[in-house]
Amino acid sequence: MSAQHTPPSPRLRAAVAAAATSSLLVLTACGGGTDAPVGEPEAPSEPVDLRMTVWTADEAQLELFQSIADDYVAENPELVSSVTFETIPFEDYTTSLTTQLAGGNAPDLAWIFESNAPEFVASGALVDLRPLLESTDGYALDDIVPSALGLWEDAEGLYAYPFSTSPFAMFVNTDQIAAADQTDPAELVASGEWTFDAARDIAAATAEDSGKQGLVVRDFDYQTWENLATVWSGWAAAPWSEDGTQCTFTEPAMVEAMTWIHDAAFEDGAMPGPGTTADFFAGDAAMTITQISRASALDGSFDWDVVPLPAGPAGKQNVVGQAGIGVFAAGEHPDVAADFLAHFTDPENAEQLAAYFPPPRASLLNAETLADANPSLTAEQLQAVVVEGVEDAVTKPAHKNFAQLSETVRAELDALWTEDADVEAVLTDTCSTITPLLEE
Amino acid sequence: MATLSAGNVSAAVRRDWLVGYAMVAPVVLGALAFVVLPLGMVVWYSLHEWNVLANTFTFVGAENYGRMASDDGLADALLASLWFSIGLVVLNIVLALLLAVLLNQRLPGTTTFRTFFFSPVVVSLVAWTIVWSFLLQADGGINGFLAVLGVDGPNWLRHETTAMIAVIIVQVFKNVGLNMILFLAALQGVPEELQEAARLDGAGAWRRFRSITLPLISPTILLVSIITIVGSLEVFAQIDVLTGGGPGNSTTVLVYYLYQQAFRFNEFGYASAIAVLLFVIVLVLTLLQWQSRKRWVFHEV
Amino acid sequence: MRSDVLSPRARRGWSRWLLVALLALLSVPFVFPTWWMATSSLKPMSEILRRVPTIWPQDPTLDAYGQVFTLQPFAQQYWNSLYIAALVTIGTMLVAAMAGYAFARIRFPGANALFVLVLVGLLVPSEVTIVPLFRIVNSLGLINTHWPLIVIPILGAPAVLAVFIMRQFFLALPTELEEAGRIDGLGRWGIFWRIALPLSRSALGAVAIFTFLKSWNLYLEPIVYLSSKESFTLPQALTQYVDAYGGPMWNVQLAATTLTVLPVLAVFLVAQKQFVQGLAHSGLKG
Repeated sequence: MSAQHTPPSPRLRAAVAAAATSSLLVLTACGGGTDAPVGEPEAPSEPVDLRMTVWTADEAQLELFQSIADDYVAENPELVSSVTFETIPFEDYTTSLTTQLAGGNAPDLAWIFESNAPEFVASGALVDLRPLLESTDGYALDDIVPSALGLWEDAEGLYAYPFSTSPFAMFVNTDQIAAADQTDPAELVASGEWTFDAARDIAAATAEDSGKQGLVVRDFDYQTWENLATVWSGWAAAPWSEDGTQCTFTEPAMVEAMTWIHDAAFEDGAMPGPGTTADFFAGDAAMTITQISRASALDGSFDWDVVPLPAGPAGKQNVVGQAGIGVFAAGEHPDVAADFLAHFTDPENAEQLAAYFPPPRASLLNAETLADANPSLTAEQLQAVVVEGVEDAVTKPAHKNFAQLSETVRAELDALWTEDADVEAVLTDTCSTITPLLEE
Repeated sequence: MATLSAGNVSAAVRRDWLVGYAMVAPVVLGALAFVVLPLGMVVWYSLHEWNVLANTFTFVGAENYGRMASDDGLADALLASLWFSIGLVVLNIVLALLLAVLLNQRLPGTTTFRTFFFSPVVVSLVAWTIVWSFLLQADGGINGFLAVLGVDGPNWLRHETTAMIAVIIVQVFKNVGLNMILFLAALQGVPEELQEAARLDGAGAWRRFRSITLPLISPTILLVSIITIVGSLEVFAQIDVLTGGGPGNSTTVLVYYLYQQAFRFNEFGYASAIAVLLFVIVLVLTLLQWQSRKRWVFHEV
Repeated sequence: MRSDVLSPRARRGWSRWLLVALLALLSVPFVFPTWWMATSSLKPMSEILRRVPTIWPQDPTLDAYGQVFTLQPFAQQYWNSLYIAALVTIGTMLVAAMAGYAFARIRFPGANALFVLVLVGLLVPSEVTIVPLFRIVNSLGLINTHWPLIVIPILGAPAVLAVFIMRQFFLALPTELEEAGRIDGLGRWGIFWRIALPLSRSALGAVAIFTFLKSWNLYLEPIVYLSSKESFTLPQALTQYVDAYGGPMWNVQLAATTLTVLPVLAVFLVAQKQFVQGLAHSGLKG
């Protein structure tokens, strides 16, 4: 309607159509294949427009993306005429992306949630980036921490770059803990006594003293159960086997971990019960498990500290949350898009992105690089929580059938979140319900 | 409308017909392009196994419909939808009528109250739902209020029955203002003389309301209940924010289930089949209501 | 012109004030959320998320309102919503009045069947047809334009309720008025424009309010069809006030929400009398 919404010129449309046809041919040549590797792009008859869907609406981040993209356009005028970053609200991201795919308007590149990763990888919706990234000069693919790639690869290829690999940590409200005469968790970390049981006891005592809440697993809210992975990983428990075919909710480690969580909420008063949300950053809780990037939400209204996740009976296990960037096979120019991705995430630009997103590259995982991005954290905190927090980290549960599993487990576990729940029985039920979904 | 035989009509009448066709053309063509065509496409999708991610689109015949029969989740969703719709429609209409009657008493401050009751209609659904999610917490505002009255309030969103009630109430408060306005308008159209006559006959207030007011506003009740029922089947954001369909599957209503299948599980074919089912349900319900109107709607023209 | 459920005595004295008290009590759940929304836009984030909501900000600040305009082209987005809603409202009034009139008054063959065809639109939740509609819009090359947000509501499913209301109104309109016009030599078209349409102002008012609100609050469709910030509409723009990590900036979102709600409420406050009376005289009455 208004000036900025004029449809593309006929010339451009013809070019786009031509490009679409050619990419269609490429796809058919690879056997309907969707996950065929991409190589060096051949120059299209006319430079193309690339589109990347993102869920950030932050001006500074979008400006950084655009400046990286502008450099690429300047270097490759024969390939690309523009790169657009399209913001879709976080809550509606998957809906919108799916509608675009279903409507035949796939973006060229997209940010992808970790929970969707296996589904995207297994479905063949994304192109294999490994050959291109390996052959790109100076990309240093082997610089990327191997554990960061696990979610985004299969036996055949690598389908996304995990641009954000953010460790989970424990934030503590030291004001509240001191007021309750409890030991500072940092001291327990130093003495090697920082365990989940210790955290629970401090949380319960502090909550009793403050009249507020104790330990909050952020964003769990008795719905998003996969966030409990930050706890049960300390028991070396997991919801299903590594290959995703066996339900392991009934394994002793998981039963023990879930009993601990249940009792912390319903007996010890260490965690807020269902129907009670407490925001640590608003000063409503003594401690919270969340990603370190949330430090920006602290406004200085209380003294705080951030420490690594506590150890469970099976020792300390690092957990990271991730997001990846992939190239859609159904996009109009997957080869050009992949080439842009190789530029967008090369060591130099990855360092720029590290200003906002904890990087997966070993060369960038040091307190100096991270300090710029996290001014509110000290070098020691960054070293302990981020640099060491990525080592051998596990991700939250993922599965190629995750959406259905997530919903089904959520419904089953609702039976667990009552005072007199029989943990083992609920977990047995959960397993019998999700086993068919795991086998699918 | 009367049956017309095209044989013996004058040119003037034919011209009148043409005007008629021209006047309905925009909505008829619009309905064809933006309702019937998309619906047809949905029916076509429903005969396929369509995974958007894997980009597969395979004809499977009636398989998706066969799958419905053995889908417990769908049965639960139908039941949840049934309870939700009944609760919503009854509560919405009763409350809307009550408010309209109260506002029709020429009490002081009526204009202000009318604005109060209408205001949620214009408020953003997201903001509305978020405030209510705070209020409905175990130690939230509502239970705080109940505690003052000496009542130990339930953990609203965590029990199957109360979660359903909570979702219904939040939705009713959001939209009852529109229905209230419609009823208010209808009430103001009830002739004073009829009331007076009945009063002289010795009819009490309740009797007059039942025998005079209700029949006279019954066309509005019909319209309002159709709109509300159809609207109740579209509820989505509130459930997403308040309960996420839980606890268990207790608040997973049909549209939410459809949404999950399509956009979260990427089962577009199956979701399309559910969409067809949803459409048929709404169609049947509306037809039933429309047919029944002769029995209870006064002087439908 | 009003019906009275209560006896004359009840309109006097204490029972009258009892009813006012009842209304005041009933108002609480309607008003509090809006009140909270408006006042919370003056609070810092940490106070907004307090579990026990505060009634009045402890330390009111207008910072959030400044951010509303610096973070996004909010004025442009406001204009987008406004002009889209205005076009949709005018278009719907016109199209629905014509169709409603023809369905009510002109006995052309197939009128019933066509009316039922149109009514189908009333029965289709938008989630059902969003994917095929997106395909249609995409194939027309109209993604990221405002066209689908204007044309589809005027002609498609959202307009059906308006058609229905207009038809009900014209059904109830006395035929004598039209007869007079016919005797004066007016044709069908003339009767519609000169007599029926002016008489339907009240029903059109109802249609206008319904339609404007629906367009103003439209959420799923803009998110699906629009992709550049300059083309966003308000409900969609509200969700874009997030911090660097995707967490919502509640104070800014609530400030922006307040800015979108208050003008509409103000218009209702001023126009409600005409609106209610308009409806009362329309075909929706008993």
